[in-house]
Amino acid sequence: MTTRADADLVSTVRDLFSQRCTHEVVTQAEQDGAAPEKLWREVAEMGLHLVGVDEEAGGSGGTILDALAILHAAGEFAAPLPIAETMLAAAVLADAGAEIPDGALAVVPPTADLTLSGDAVSGEAKHVPWARGAAVLVGIVDGKAFTAPVEVTRSGVDASGMPSDDVKINGTVVGDSSRDLLLDGALARSAQLAGAMEAIAELTREYTNERIQFGQPVGRFQAVAQHIVTLAQMATMSSLSVERAGLAALSGPAAFEIKALKQVSDRNATTAARAAHQAHGAIGMTQEYRLQQLTRRLYAWRGEFGLEKELAEDLGKTVAEHGSMHDVVVAGSEALS
Amino acid sequence: MRLEATELTDEELELQQKVRSWLRDRLPAGSYPLGLGMSGEIDPEFSRDLGAQGWLGMALPVEYGGHGRSAVERLIVVEEMLAIGAPVGFHWVGDRQSGPSIAKHGTEEQKREILPAIARGELSFAIGMSEPDSGSDLASLRTRAVREGDGWRVNGAKIWTSGAYEATHILALFRTSEEKHTGLTQFIVPRHTEGLTINKIPFIDGTRHFCEMHFDDMYLPDTARMGEVGGGWGQNTAELVLERGGVDRWMSIAPILENWVRSRAAVGDRAAEADLGAITARNWAFRGLSLSIARMVDEGKSPVTEAALVKEMATRFEQESVDTVARHFGRTPDLHSDDPYESLLARAILVSPSWSIRGGTNEILRSVAAKGLNKR
Repeated sequence: MTTRADADLVSTVRDLFSQRCTHEVVTQAEQDGAAPEKLWREVAEMGLHLVGVDEEAGGSGGTILDALAILHAAGEFAAPLPIAETMLAAAVLADAGAEIPDGALAVVPPTADLTLSGDAVSGEAKHVPWARGAAVLVGIVDGKAFTAPVEVTRSGVDASGMPSDDVKINGTVVGDSSRDLLLDGALARSAQLAGAMEAIAELTREYTNERIQFGQPVGRFQAVAQHIVTLAQMATMSSLSVERAGLAALSGPAAFEIKALKQVSDRNATTAARAAHQAHGAIGMTQEYRLQQLTRRLYAWRGEFGLEKELAEDLGKTVAEHGSMHDVVVAGSEALS
Repeated sequence: MRLEATELTDEELELQQKVRSWLRDRLPAGSYPLGLGMSGEIDPEFSRDLGAQGWLGMALPVEYGGHGRSAVERLIVVEEMLAIGAPVGFHWVGDRQSGPSIAKHGTEEQKREILPAIARGELSFAIGMSEPDSGSDLASLRTRAVREGDGWRVNGAKIWTSGAYEATHILALFRTSEEKHTGLTQFIVPRHTEGLTINKIPFIDGTRHFCEMHFDDMYLPDTARMGEVGGGWGQNTAELVLERGGVDRWMSIAPILENWVRSRAAVGDRAAEADLGAITARNWAFRGLSLSIARMVDEGKSPVTEAALVKEMATRFEQESVDTVARHFGRTPDLHSDDPYESLLARAILVSPSWSIRGGTNEILRSVAAKGLNKR
């Protein structure tokens, strides 16, 4: 029994990103602290940033698997775009029955310190990815979806050089939402992480096949080949797990699958980054080479929407209280509901 | 090749429930000696009962007593048994490897004679591959089978064979010519063939299922040969996808983990909960990998590289999990403890280094996987 993302969509998106997200484009976006306008317009015209949200609600349609495939591709090419953020925010607005504004959207992290008073939401949020440049901030507090105008108090960047700003929130409730931004975000980030890991595995494999040292391609040295294997393991496990968690989310509550996925992916990201840099040697540490654009994304994303340690504690507590690991591993969230 | 996500169908979930409830009746907790995954205890009676349920030789053809079921269905059955440390030792190798291999490469006569008995849980196989001078490097095997009349004369030795003493048959790989890879041929050797002596080698944990075999002028009729002369190498590598990608590669300590959770020892201990959570998450991820590999095998694909990638990391993970549980145990577990889970943990500590050796060492697997990845 298999359901998967629309193959045509996936190949279109990969083509687009592979042509448009070159090393230079990504570098420029970092310098500008903004998404490349032309590329974002193209993505928006294709409606990619609203895939996974029903058309009646103002989205582009498609399933969560389609959305994850787009995010996977975006991760693969280190696309300097707020696609994940816009998708997440749009899903919240759609759920709340509110209108989805044009343009990029940003999400207030579920960890933000917020106060709800009547229909007014106030507070502050640190490290909001892609806040600057967003049409509006979207968040959830106590089951209420809210929007807030973008008021940046400090412009920052994440480990990959993408905007990550502190903001002041003066928002208004736009409806109820039962969505869980931590889970939605963890799923989205895991897809991006998996995509980046696939790209890193491939880049490292190619590089070590070309780089000659001691008279032969370094990839022929067993010690280097082991890093190639490690990278393939991390990428394969993460990509498959994203699809599995996506399938679970498609058919019901998937809190366990998503948390397990993010926990595993965060750890895999660390392992993959190490292995890739070790196999590349010094060149991988330079800004002129592509690798760092990808590994820095791993560092940025692994720390968002759930941390490896917190997720492990959470999962462990759940399993310990449930009383059977086998049950949970086999039946997932269903065993816990 | 990318592994594709898959879910269990309603029929498959039904099978899972059936197996679970049968096992609850047939093996109530405390009624059987706990085992570590595929190294479970040898219990021919249990194997026969399992066969009577139709849960042995599941993937073997119906005309030879098999059940014509899928690799995924087999995974479901196996998974439930490993989860409780069931005594799978008698039928394990025949069910997982030798049976399917005979179904594919055996003669009509071999299939008729052997396969139905494997499916009934009456035959037990051991694999005669490693030799004193050849571990994972099978191309260097030296035990020779030399043509003599209508048969073969075999001389040499095999070692590190699990369960050979209790097995009814050995599926052995012998050298039939000097060609490195194409000079190897498989033979089905009945346990009590004249000239074959089997000795037990006490294992590190004191168990005695590990064996060495000596072949002194052993004579085999040509009807014992399986597959083409010189085809042994190819036949062997084809067997490896399921052997390497299966759930048995990360479920050796499933009963120990289950007991840790059930005992509630981790509740409220943040460090233990964190370790437990990380292990659970990774088990979930590995299960997905095994399931996808099985599903792809059912679809006629052969994810050889993926299976090698999985075995390599899954066996390391099993070992790390043993360390983690041991660290939280609070003292050195006693091998002779009255608590079966404590002695199982003690055994796991002792034998866990073997998990990344059997079925191809991790170092060899990494080479195999690296070659596979480079061909893409």
